[in-house]
Amino acid sequence: MTMQSKWNRREFLQHASAATLAALAAGAPVSNLLSSCKSKSNSSADTVILLWMAGGMAHTETFDPKLYTPFEKDMEGNRVLSTFKSLPTKLDGIHFSEGLQSIGNVMDKGTLIRSYVAADMGHILHSRHQYHWHTCYEPPQTVAAPHIGSWIAKELGPKNPVIPAFVDIGQRFTVGEAEELKAFHTAGFLGNEFGPFFIPDPSQGLESVRPPVGMDAKRFERRNQLYNELINNSPVGEFGSDYQRESLKRSMEQAYALLNSPESKAFDLSTEPKKSYDIYNTGKFGLGCLLARRLTEQGARFISVTTEYEPFKGWDTHENGHTRLEEMKKQIDGPVAQLIKDLDEKGLLDRTMVVLASEFSRDMMVEGRPDAKVLEQVAQPDILSDLKFYGMHRHFTDGCSMLMFGGGIKKGFVYGKTADERPCKTIENPIKIDGVHQTIYHALGIAEDTQYEVEKRPFYTTPDGKGKAVMELLS
Amino acid sequence: MVHFPIGLLLVALLLELMDWRRKSAALRDATAIVTWVGAGSALLAVVFGLLLADSEDASGTSFEIHKWSGIATMTLAVAATFALRSRNRSLFRSLLFVTVFGVSFAGHYGAMLTHGDDYLSSVLPSSSEPKEPAGTDEADFVLTNTGALSPEQVQNLNVEVRTILAHNCYSCHSETKTKGDLRLDSKEAIMKGGEGGPVVVPNHPDKSEIIRRITLPKGDKEAMPTKGKRLTEREVNVLKFWIEKGALWPDGQQKSIYRVAALEPRTPAVPAATAELNKPVDLFVNAYFKKNNVTWKSAVDDRLYIRRVYLDIIGLLPPPEKVDAFVADTRPDKREVLARELLNRNDDYAQHWMSFWNDALRNDYTGTGYITGGRFDITKWLYSSLQSNKPYNWFVKELISPNKESEGFIKGIKWRGTINSSQRTEMQAAQNVSQVFLGLNLKCASCHDSFVSDWKLADAYAFANIFADTLLEINHCDKPTGKIAGTKMLFPELGEISVDAPTEKRLRQLADYLVQPKDGRLYRTVVNRVWAQLMGRGIVEPVDVMDNVPWSEDLLDWLASDFVANGYDMKKLIYTIVTSKTYQLPSTSVKEAGDIMANDFKFTGMVRRRLSAEQFSDAISIAFKPMYSDSAIMYKRLPEDIRQRLPFARAAFVKNDPFLTSLGRPNRETVSTSRTSQANLLQALELTNGNKFTETLKSGSKEWKAKYQTSDSLVTALYRKALGRTPLPKEIAAAKKILGPAPSEEGIQDLVWAIALVPEFQLIY
Repeated sequence: MTMQSKWNRREFLQHASAATLAALAAGAPVSNLLSSCKSKSNSSADTVILLWMAGGMAHTETFDPKLYTPFEKDMEGNRVLSTFKSLPTKLDGIHFSEGLQSIGNVMDKGTLIRSYVAADMGHILHSRHQYHWHTCYEPPQTVAAPHIGSWIAKELGPKNPVIPAFVDIGQRFTVGEAEELKAFHTAGFLGNEFGPFFIPDPSQGLESVRPPVGMDAKRFERRNQLYNELINNSPVGEFGSDYQRESLKRSMEQAYALLNSPESKAFDLSTEPKKSYDIYNTGKFGLGCLLARRLTEQGARFISVTTEYEPFKGWDTHENGHTRLEEMKKQIDGPVAQLIKDLDEKGLLDRTMVVLASEFSRDMMVEGRPDAKVLEQVAQPDILSDLKFYGMHRHFTDGCSMLMFGGGIKKGFVYGKTADERPCKTIENPIKIDGVHQTIYHALGIAEDTQYEVEKRPFYTTPDGKGKAVMELLS
Repeated sequence: MVHFPIGLLLVALLLELMDWRRKSAALRDATAIVTWVGAGSALLAVVFGLLLADSEDASGTSFEIHKWSGIATMTLAVAATFALRSRNRSLFRSLLFVTVFGVSFAGHYGAMLTHGDDYLSSVLPSSSEPKEPAGTDEADFVLTNTGALSPEQVQNLNVEVRTILAHNCYSCHSETKTKGDLRLDSKEAIMKGGEGGPVVVPNHPDKSEIIRRITLPKGDKEAMPTKGKRLTEREVNVLKFWIEKGALWPDGQQKSIYRVAALEPRTPAVPAATAELNKPVDLFVNAYFKKNNVTWKSAVDDRLYIRRVYLDIIGLLPPPEKVDAFVADTRPDKREVLARELLNRNDDYAQHWMSFWNDALRNDYTGTGYITGGRFDITKWLYSSLQSNKPYNWFVKELISPNKESEGFIKGIKWRGTINSSQRTEMQAAQNVSQVFLGLNLKCASCHDSFVSDWKLADAYAFANIFADTLLEINHCDKPTGKIAGTKMLFPELGEISVDAPTEKRLRQLADYLVQPKDGRLYRTVVNRVWAQLMGRGIVEPVDVMDNVPWSEDLLDWLASDFVANGYDMKKLIYTIVTSKTYQLPSTSVKEAGDIMANDFKFTGMVRRRLSAEQFSDAISIAFKPMYSDSAIMYKRLPEDIRQRLPFARAAFVKNDPFLTSLGRPNRETVSTSRTSQANLLQALELTNGNKFTETLKSGSKEWKAKYQTSDSLVTALYRKALGRTPLPKEIAAAKKILGPAPSEEGIQDLVWAIALVPEFQLIY
C-alpha cells in the first residue's frame, strides 16, 4: 500500500505521544495541547459523531411524516401513510412525527435531509446495506473496504492522542448477522491500527480504558515499571532497535498513557451530574450519546453510537411497527436533542459534526423502491386485521431522512423532499451515500480524491473518487 | 557542498565595488578574506567535480560546459588572489569581475546538471506535490543526451513515455474512457489528437498542447490531469524530450511497459561450493552477497535457532528440556536432525500451517455468506492435506478441480441480491486462483482493461468463463457490453480449454495445465510465499505480484525447480530453507515498515518478525496456561479424530475473537497473504486490559502459585518456558520486587504479563 496523503501521520503520532507523556508527567491537560496541529484552515469540523439508527428507520414515522391515518380494525393498509400525528418543529412549516418534539426543538441548529436514496442492491439485507452506508462500497469487494471512521482515523489521526481515533459504541457481535456486521466494522486494508475501539456497552466504557478490573493504580504502575525494567534488561536489547521492537514499545506507551490519562475519566459515566445523566439515560443508545459527548469534550475524532442492530429488533420492525416506534422515539428523542444542546452550549458544535442516519427507510406496502421492487420479505396483509400489522414493516430505499448538525452544516435548513402520497419517494434533491461521505470528508478537510494504492489499484474514499460533497448542506 | 563558498566571490566583488566608492581598510581586509575562501573552494570544487564525474561517468553538453567553465573560473579566481597579493588593485578588480561572470556561467550549467535543464522555468507551481517515485534508470540519458538515439534508446524512451501516459492519463484517455475524444494509448491515437486538434507536434514540445496542459499550475481549469494529481518534473521532462526528438514510436511489436516475469521454469547452475558453503541456497545467496558487498555473519546460537525452527515449522515454543538437550547435543548435523524431527510431527506442522493457508484460501469456521448458506469451508480437506503433506501440485489441483470437501475455495462468497459483475462468484474464482497460485492481480482487469498490467477485460472474462456453467457476458465497469469472451487460460501456452466441455471437465483441464512443471510461475509463487513466511520477506515482494523483480532471480528460479524436482514436497522445501546457512544468519532489522517492501531492498538475512496472533496465543498457552478451553475449538469443522491430535486448544482452531483480531488474524472474506507485524494502540490495549488475556493470567496464576513455593524457582521456570533461557540475576531481582519471596497470585499475573509483552517474547529474533 502506498501512502498518497500529504502528511505523515506516523511521525505525528510519535511526536504526539512523546509530547503527551511529557505533558502528563507535568500534569498538564492534554486536550488542548495539540489542537493547534490539527486545525486545518480549509476544514469546518474536527470531530464526527454518527448516530446510527440500525435496522431501517421509516421516514414517514419520524422526520418526514405524511398524513396521519389512525388505526381501525380491518382498515386497508394502503391508506396508511403515517401511524403518528405530525407536530410542528422549531422550523416554520416543518413537522416531525409525534414523539420527536425535543429533536424538533433543536432543528434551528442543524439541517434536515429528506431525500437520502439508498442503493438498490436487488434484495434487502440490512447488514449489506449497512456495509454500504458505512464503507461507501457495495459488498462484496475484492479488497476489504474500510469503515468511514477508519478513513478518518487514518487521514487525521486521533484528535487527542490518548482517545482512540475511532470509537464504536453500542454494537455487540454476538447477535444475528454477526459475521456480516464484522465485515464492515473494520479498517479493512488500512490496517488494524485504524480499526474501531469497541465499547459495546457505554455504561461499561470505563472498563475498556482503565487497568484491568481489580487492579489498583499502584499495582498498574508497578506492573508497567516491571515491564520497562525487563525491556531494558533483556539481553536481546543488544540487537539494537528496529521498527517492530519500537512499534511494540510505542504502542504500549500509548496504551499506558491512555489508561492513566485524566481524559480516561470521560469514559466514566458515573461522574456525570445526575440531572444530565437522567436525560440521557433512556437505555444503551442514550448513554452512548452521553459518552460521545464526554469523549468529544476530551478530543475524540470519530464516534459511532448505534441503537444496535439485531435482526427484527429496534428499528427493524417486521410487525408491531407503530408500538415499537413509540419506544424507539423515547430512546432517541431526549438524548439526541440533549447532545446537540450540550455541544452547542459548550461551544463544541461549531467543530463537531453530528450525523443521524439509517441504512434505509420503511413503508407499509413497497419493498425496495417503486420502480424496482424486490422480493417481499415481510408478511404484510393488505387488510389490517390486527394492531400488530399497523406500522411500516417493509424495507423502502427510495426516500430516507437524515439529520446533520454542526461542523459547518447549515442551521435551520431543509434539503430534499419526498412525495406526500404513496409511494413516498424522493422527488427533490436526491442524495446518495457517496455524497454523504464526501460532505463529511469535505468538512473535515480530507481531500476528495484521497486514495491509497492497494494491490496496485487506487482505492478512493468514495468509489472511483467520484463522490461530490453536497455544498448546499454546508454554510 | 563545496560549491557554496564560491558564491563568496560574488560577495567579494560587491565589497570591492563598495570600496571603489568609499575607501576603507576594514572593507579591504574583508574583501581579501572572502576572495581567498572563494578561490580556495573553487579549487576544491574543480577537484571534487572531476572525481565525481569520473565515478558517475557523466557526459553531455551541460557537463562539458560546466567542467571547462568551472576550471576557467577557478583559474581566474586563483589569479585574482595573486593579483591581490601583489597589490595590483586594478588587475585584481578586472580579474574578480571576470571571475564572477564565470561563476554565474558555470553555475548555470551546473544547476542544469543537477536539477534538469528547465530548472529555472519549473519553479514553484506544482512543486509541493508528492515526491517523485524511484523511477527506472532506463531513460536517464534524457537530461544530457543531445545526439541521435540508438534504436534501443528509442525503445526505452518510448516505453517510459507510455508508462507515464498509462499512470497519469489512461484512466480518462484510453479505450476505457475517452474524454475530449482523446486517446493516448496508441501511436495513431496520440498523433490524431482530440476534439481540440493535435496534442503532440513532433520536434516542438513548446507547441504541443499536451505539454502546455500538464505544465499549467494546479487549479487552472485546463490543467491536466484533472484529478489534482500533477506529473513530476522528471515525467514532464521525459515527455518534452520525447517530443523534441520527434515523438518517436518504434515500429513492430510494442514492448510492454510492464515487467512480465518469465512463465517457464529455469534451473540456473549452482555456483561452485566454497570452503564454508555447499548448499545451493547458500551458494546463490553467496553470489548475491558478493555482488552486493554483503559479508556473511556467523550463524545464530543454538537457543535462537531452536526457537526459530519450532515457531516456523510447528508454531510452538520449544520446551526447556528440548532446548537444553539441543544445546548439549554435540552432533555436527544436529540442526538438520532437529528440522527433520519437527517436520515429521505431521499434526503439529498441519496445525501451524493451517493459519497461513486459511488466510490465503479465505477459509474460516464461521460466516461468511450473508444468508445464502454460509461459508463453504474446506477445513477438513485442508487439515488432512497439510497433515499428509500432500504434494503441492495435487493440493492445487484439488482446489481448482475440487471434490465436495475442497470446493469452498472456488465457490467464493455469494451475497444476497445483485452484486457488481466483477464480483460474481466465477470472477471471484478467477481472481483468487490467479492471485493465490500465480501471484497475479486480475482484479483491475475484471472491470476494465488494467492500467497496471497488460491484462485486458476480455482476458479476465475468458479466464472466469472456465469456472462458469454458462459463458458470462462481458461487463465493462458493471455495464453489459453484449460481448462474450471465450474460455482461455491466462497463459495460453499452457494449454487450450475446451469451450464446449462441461464445467467439471474445464476445471480439470485448467488444473492439469496449471500444475504442469512448465508452469514455472505457479512454483515460483509458492516457493516465494514459503520463503517470505520463513524469512520475513519474499524474494519477490509483494508476494502477490510475481512480475516484480526478485532480489535474486537465480535463487528464486532454483528453489522453484528444486521444488518440482523434489516432487512438489512442501516439507522438503521448508527443510531446504531452514537448514541453510542463510536461514541461520542473525535476523536483521529495518527502520521503517515500508523498508521491507522497498524496491531497493537488500537482503542481509531474515527480517525480524513478530509472532502471529496464533503463535502468540499458543506461546502463552504453552509457557503459562492455555488461553482457550477445549470447548472453544470448532470441532465440527475438523476431522473426527482431531481431538486426540491437538495438544491443547490451539488458536488456529478457535473462532476469531477480539483478542485474535487485534493481534492480526484477518476477517477472511478476501484472500489475505501477509500479515502486518506492526504493533498498534488497539492491540496494546487488548493486551493490557482485554478480558481474554486478563482472565488467562488470573486462572494461570492460581495454578502456578500452587506449583511453585519460592519466587526463585517460579521465575526460573517461567523464563525457561517463555524465553528458552535462565533469567539473569538482575531479571530475578526485578521479578522478585513484584513477586516477593513467596509468589502471590497478583505478582505472578503481573510478571507473566510483563514477560509476554517484552519484544524478546513477541519477536522472532
